[in-house]
Amino acid sequence: MGSLTDMTPDTAFTYELGWIPVSPRLAVARRLSLALVYLIVIAVVVALVLIPGVPTWVPAVVGAIAVVIFIWLWWLIGRRVRSFGYAERGDDLLVTSGILFRRLVIVPYGRMQLVDVQAGPIDRWLGVTTVQLHTAAATTDASIPGLVPDVAVELRDRLARRGEERSTGL
Amino acid sequence: MSNAQQPSPIGDDLGLGLTLPGESPSDALGRRHVHPITPIVHGVSVVPVIVLLVVASGGGVLASFGWGIVPITVLAVVVVGLAVTGWSYLAWRNLWYWFDDDGDFRVDSGVLTRKQRRLQLSRLQAVDVAQPLFARLFSMAEVSIEVAGSGDSRVKLRYLKLAQARSLRNEVLARAAGLAGDVEEAPESALVTVPTRDLAVSLVMRTATAGLLLLTVAIFVFTVLSEGWGGLPLVLITGGVPILVVASEFMRYFRFTVSQSPDGLRLRFGLARTETRTVPPGRVQAIEFVEPLLWRRWNWVRVRINIAGVGGESNGNKKEETLLIPVAPLPVAISLVHRLMPGLDLDALDWHPAPERSRRRAFIQWRRLAVAWDDSVLATRSGRFTRRLAVIPHVRTQSVRVTQGPWERMLDLATMHADSTPGPVSVKALHLDAHYAREVADEQVARARQARGSDTTTHWAKPQDHPDI
Repeated sequence: MGSLTDMTPDTAFTYELGWIPVSPRLAVARRLSLALVYLIVIAVVVALVLIPGVPTWVPAVVGAIAVVIFIWLWWLIGRRVRSFGYAERGDDLLVTSGILFRRLVIVPYGRMQLVDVQAGPIDRWLGVTTVQLHTAAATTDASIPGLVPDVAVELRDRLARRGEERSTGL
Repeated sequence: MSNAQQPSPIGDDLGLGLTLPGESPSDALGRRHVHPITPIVHGVSVVPVIVLLVVASGGGVLASFGWGIVPITVLAVVVVGLAVTGWSYLAWRNLWYWFDDDGDFRVDSGVLTRKQRRLQLSRLQAVDVAQPLFARLFSMAEVSIEVAGSGDSRVKLRYLKLAQARSLRNEVLARAAGLAGDVEEAPESALVTVPTRDLAVSLVMRTATAGLLLLTVAIFVFTVLSEGWGGLPLVLITGGVPILVVASEFMRYFRFTVSQSPDGLRLRFGLARTETRTVPPGRVQAIEFVEPLLWRRWNWVRVRINIAGVGGESNGNKKEETLLIPVAPLPVAISLVHRLMPGLDLDALDWHPAPERSRRRAFIQWRRLAVAWDDSVLATRSGRFTRRLAVIPHVRTQSVRVTQGPWERMLDLATMHADSTPGPVSVKALHLDAHYAREVADEQVARARQARGSDTTTHWAKPQDHPDI
């Protein structure tokens, strides 16, 4: 058994054929957000350098740790984005994601109560959109981030139509 | 467990004999106000809050006023009480409720922001009549109506005269069940009343509570008696928390009574605040039997249920544990559950246990972990000390998930979840073999689809040959 991250994807989660990956631009968007957060970290390090009385090794250590974490997160974002996938079957939608904590959600079209399409400012600028499905269960947690806007809107309409056709009560 | 002898009307009137004149006025369109006394009830209920505030801060700033505190308190009570009454009067004037031509329940409300709400009675989850303490003084009650849906799907009407609250509840239930509006109050017969002694004993004997109380005694013996009073704060925390929990649950579930009525099972409980909850059989989303270690000698269980729209986070910040019964011997509990899920046969289930290697993930409970299903339900088992058995009908399965954490992954295990509406029950088959979990998940999706195709329980009082939806 190798290290966790070296393992091949577990077939229990992925043996369904026809997984559609999400756009690699999602990784760009998330890395950009990460970089923005790191502006604050850089400001803290600079402040530590400038404040008199702080020993010089303090900003050095803080900076080094921050750089290591940055590189790790940068790499992790790539892996996380590649782990997202969805598949449309005749009666339900499957969404999978996660590296350390893997999940697979199967949502019957007839159970969908609403389908959200949302995008933050950075996402909009880069052209990635999140489609989120809601059922009457709060735990359903079926969101597909990183879709190209056209694909997202098409997917939403398709899901909404199928939901309408198969809708049942609770 | 004694059977209550005489059937009594819903929501015992525990008022102090003060009944008020006046009716809830209605206009030409059949729209109605709640009772005109409402603003005054709201005004009066402010009094203890202010008195408490004054008493609580009495040691500090206000003590400097000396006896001057009394007129100040009275003044504060009068001013705040009048302000609340005035605001509440405006709210009362703008609050209208009625049944519209489509058979929906409509509520218009709001003073500054007007709000129009339309509750689809075909999606009704529950109608409750409750009597908060202050409403009880005047023999008034509040009616809350829940429909299925995410977000704020609950409407509370307060206050109505108790009789009127009951008849509104009956009308809502009758219309939701697909009957005409003007039916008699459904007759009910009491099935079970939880004896006060059993309730008290069961609350103390819950694993965490009993553990904390034992710990308290131990700390008390070893620190307070031998070392002096230094251990007292710790004792107050370890002893105080369970006592508060037991006391609040005891007050809440006092004289818990389950009755059968044509509307479904009717639950009545409460000491200071009495609540009535009707659970229509078609609305139960999932159930769970909970059996703490120390209850086994009496063969007691608690039964928790998920009812859509009740007990989720959407109803304020507090998660409510919705119960079918707080404590009952297993056969009694099963007979109650049968009224909600006819045909449920727990003994006939064929359990598929988690593999032996799951002991390295769940050291204690792994032997209990198992999943089972039949034609109508999926069931999961867990817990070694506090045994849990959760059941979800296939037709109520919202979505199905398979999850796997790093530890499970190293052992090639995974957990299968059958998602239900928000509530105390979550149905998950912990730590199955990963491929088996996926297999069960796929099969569950298929079973749920098949069950949905033949569901006739939504309008459960309607003749079954007119399937709606």
